[in-house]
Amino acid sequence: MSAAIGDPATDFLVLQDVRTHFDLGRDFLTRQSKGVVKAVDGVSLTVRKGEVLGLVGESGCGKSTLSRTIMQLIRPTSGQIWLEGEELSAISDQDIRETRKNFQMIFQDPYASLNPRMTVMDTLAEAIRTRHPGLNAEEMRGRVSDLLRTVGLNPVQMKRYPHEFSGGQRQRIAIARALAPEPKLIIADEPVSALDVSIQSQILNLLKRLVREMGLTMIFISHDLSVVRYVADRIAVMYLGHIIELGSAEAVVDKPLHIYTKALMSAIPLPDPRAEKARTRIILPGDLPSPLNPPSGCVFWPRSPVEHDERLKTVPPGFAEVYPDHWAADCPFCVEKPA
Amino acid sequence: MALLEVSGLTTHFHTRNGVVRAVDGVSFSVDRGETLGIVGESGSGKSVTCYSLLRLIPEPPGRIESGTAMFDGQDLLQMTQAQLRQVRGKRISMIFQDPMTSLNPYLRISTQLVEALQVHSDIDDKAALAKAIAALEEVGIPEASRRVRSYPHEFSGGMRQRVMIAMALITDPDLLIADEPTTALDVTVQAQILEIIRQRQEKLGTAVILVTHDLGVVAGTCDKVNVMYAGRIMESGTAEQVFYEARHPYTRALQKTIPSLQKKGQKLFTIPGLPPDLAKPITGCAFYPRCPYPKVAGPVGDVPVLRDLGNGHCHAECHFCDSTAPIESVLPEDLAEDAVVGDAAPAEGGAA
Repeated sequence: MSAAIGDPATDFLVLQDVRTHFDLGRDFLTRQSKGVVKAVDGVSLTVRKGEVLGLVGESGCGKSTLSRTIMQLIRPTSGQIWLEGEELSAISDQDIRETRKNFQMIFQDPYASLNPRMTVMDTLAEAIRTRHPGLNAEEMRGRVSDLLRTVGLNPVQMKRYPHEFSGGQRQRIAIARALAPEPKLIIADEPVSALDVSIQSQILNLLKRLVREMGLTMIFISHDLSVVRYVADRIAVMYLGHIIELGSAEAVVDKPLHIYTKALMSAIPLPDPRAEKARTRIILPGDLPSPLNPPSGCVFWPRSPVEHDERLKTVPPGFAEVYPDHWAADCPFCVEKPA
Repeated sequence: MALLEVSGLTTHFHTRNGVVRAVDGVSFSVDRGETLGIVGESGSGKSVTCYSLLRLIPEPPGRIESGTAMFDGQDLLQMTQAQLRQVRGKRISMIFQDPMTSLNPYLRISTQLVEALQVHSDIDDKAALAKAIAALEEVGIPEASRRVRSYPHEFSGGMRQRVMIAMALITDPDLLIADEPTTALDVTVQAQILEIIRQRQEKLGTAVILVTHDLGVVAGTCDKVNVMYAGRIMESGTAEQVFYEARHPYTRALQKTIPSLQKKGQKLFTIPGLPPDLAKPITGCAFYPRCPYPKVAGPVGDVPVLRDLGNGHCHAECHFCDSTAPIESVLPEDLAEDAVVGDAAPAEGGAA
């Protein structure tokens, strides 16, 4: 498991065997444990500086919990996280607020993530002040104008309230707010899922341009592989708290190794009637199992079309580098090995 | 004659900010066993079209101003409430977008399925329950005889949507209207749900109207497609015609925006600007302000009429732009990327 991760001292962000479990406590009367939700269960990962890492998976797979764990909004149950050589998981709860300004988030729903009672100016100024507390009004206006221009909005609109903007414009404001404290890492959690197709591509172009021009490092969370493929340099596929495949965006999309990634790809409807009729689809039976009671061994065996042997139903597989820089769960039933 | 023939359907919302022309003269038809897709962005009037057919528009502020919707020889828009109740849920069923909110959380699944049956036919409790269990089995719910006693919260999103489909199809309707049935679901579950709808349709010969904003879903499931924009049909035809021989600039532009079709590293194609505010009168082509094609005349004149190409393929006439040019050639390199989009937000019309 350890080989997938880089060197905590030199790499930008390193996660080693991170687990985030939620203990549901004990039943009031019987005092019996109600169980533990294993939302993130042993994730090892490196994020390189200046890259966009796509995190893909179905709802309930733990991708949002993982991002919140990285930001230390939820402290991991076990495992270590390093950001630029500093071990975040060792920082005390008192000092963690100071560290959090290195992370910013862009949320899915721009209607819910902006304070309706604050003007754009107030929203952005508050975020800028976390990094530059001593700015006067003049300087602040200058910075807010710059930010708005960066995200393609007109600075004359800074005195307006969120309800005066459309969904796409609000998402631009949310992006400006994420940029304001000059964060080291931006986590975008389904940033275009709530937007219309024609607006989606505007926001994706903007994010792509910001990454290129400002050298941002970003974790881009989405359930839509076709969107992630476009934005991300590398893609990690998550299933039930585990990363089951990791590789360059091209490799994961064009030559997926894990049967789950293949199923995910084949479930994406193609906007092409002839291709749709011609393709064979892998339809997975059932739903994602409950993380309260995850299957032992290879997490995918209950839904896999390929029957697993007894060993892999009990012993969890490791993570293996199948091709250079293209990793997958080391399960012979889910992943076809190169000949 | 087609099962459903809609012609000139016009639904307006009379709001404080003026009259919102949510649906503005829409005509189409659906045959038995056929799937019609209605695609468009939010606010294009696709949901309001469907709600108008079943008269589910809140009146006021909404009003069906004109048009006819002949369903098996009867005009749905002229029916009395008593007649409508005979049609709704029995001959025409509807599946809504959000399976979380369209089931009653206080009632067991069995109660809700049995109610749908007993409202429309004289069937005793035992037979109805047996039919409910069979319906759940058909949509692939395991242990249906036990799960039928469950409450909605005991099901996952995909399972709830299956229950909705079972409920919609339990009366063997002639027409199923599915309003974004898979938008709230994961892609793997979406594939399952679309497959179930397809199987049931093959078996029962049900006509389906599928409302969606996802061109991929349309390509895989629909025989015919209506592309809507600003309450009007911009283009309609068979799926192949609309995907491979698209005539209208909007259809072409919409197809170009899909990320999965574009090469990585290339800038994504975008349609500049925002959909129009439907509370303001629109002269000429509604898409004119956002049209990426070279403009050869101003946005004047009447609403463009639908031109029928003779083989079922129709498109709104486009006088103003030179749409014979291939779309790649008309796009300047950096078009729209940094466009300061619109000055004010569009009015949130009644088209929800």
